[in-house]
Amino acid sequence: MHIPDGFLDPWVAGLFWLGSGAAIGLAVRRARDELGDERTPLLGVVAAGVFAAQMLNWPIPGGTSAHFVGGAFAGVLLGPSLGVLAMTAVVTIQALVFGDGGIIALGANLFAMAVVDVFVGYALFRACRGVHETGAAFVAGWGAITVSALVVGLGVGFSSAFAYAVGTTVPIMVVGHALLGLVEGAITAAVYGYVADARPDLVLGRSADEVAAPEVGA
Amino acid sequence: MSAGVPFTRPWVRRALACLLVLVFLAPVFGWASGAVGYAEPLENAAHATGAADAASTVLPGLLPDYTVAGLDGPLGTLAAGGIGTLLTLGVALGAGRLLER
Repeated sequence: MHIPDGFLDPWVAGLFWLGSGAAIGLAVRRARDELGDERTPLLGVVAAGVFAAQMLNWPIPGGTSAHFVGGAFAGVLLGPSLGVLAMTAVVTIQALVFGDGGIIALGANLFAMAVVDVFVGYALFRACRGVHETGAAFVAGWGAITVSALVVGLGVGFSSAFAYAVGTTVPIMVVGHALLGLVEGAITAAVYGYVADARPDLVLGRSADEVAAPEVGA
Repeated sequence: MSAGVPFTRPWVRRALACLLVLVFLAPVFGWASGAVGYAEPLENAAHATGAADAASTVLPGLLPDYTVAGLDGPLGTLAAGGIGTLLTLGVALGAGRLLER
């Protein structure tokens, strides 16, 4: 998912920088009201957990491998603003310290993993949580990584290095990550379910004495 | 960093233990993915369109490709994972504390 330098045309990279810059700026402004004694440590732990989890690569059918991205997980657990901040820390450290993803392409990588993955995951979770909360976390993880892959596929597909072959890049990225998304969704649902059961007060929009949304079939 | 992380809270201690497990798993997965020779979808898309050679490195980073100079193989991955996880924890926590003010 991490785009190296040389893959994107300058105008595409510039557009991604504009989009991610605006979204991160907005997240910083909104995050001020959400941080505190409980949520600030949670921000650090979630960011560190996503970084560590992203180091675990697993193979998926068709000669492909991928890793947990975690943007949807961060968005679901922390909310969109803190989720964007957590993922911004992860993706920026990966680029600056480990050379994972380019510097010129950092705006695109932030847009895909720290903005789209977080916001789409959060939106899907909000839309589905009334039906089945853990299932909503699964849908959030799966759907968000697939949409993020679509964004990356479009970004590279509109660049000269990829011969403007959007019709090739988008299917490869979307199908590959739709498969990965099943694992992404499962991990998102499992960890969210555990945290929501053990410490519901840590989950945005819930408190310790709040009853969870009814589970279908329960 | 200890001033920013409330180690006395049980959930924080459990979370940090989980982070430690993830860091120790990193070399195993790194070895496995290298052994089977799989590629990520973006690499597959680059190969399919002839873009693979277009990738360039403007800034290799202090620990390129999650390796540490002088530490080969799984040990280097383990060290890089530990450093990265601690760094991310510190940066996110520090940013959070700054924004609280």
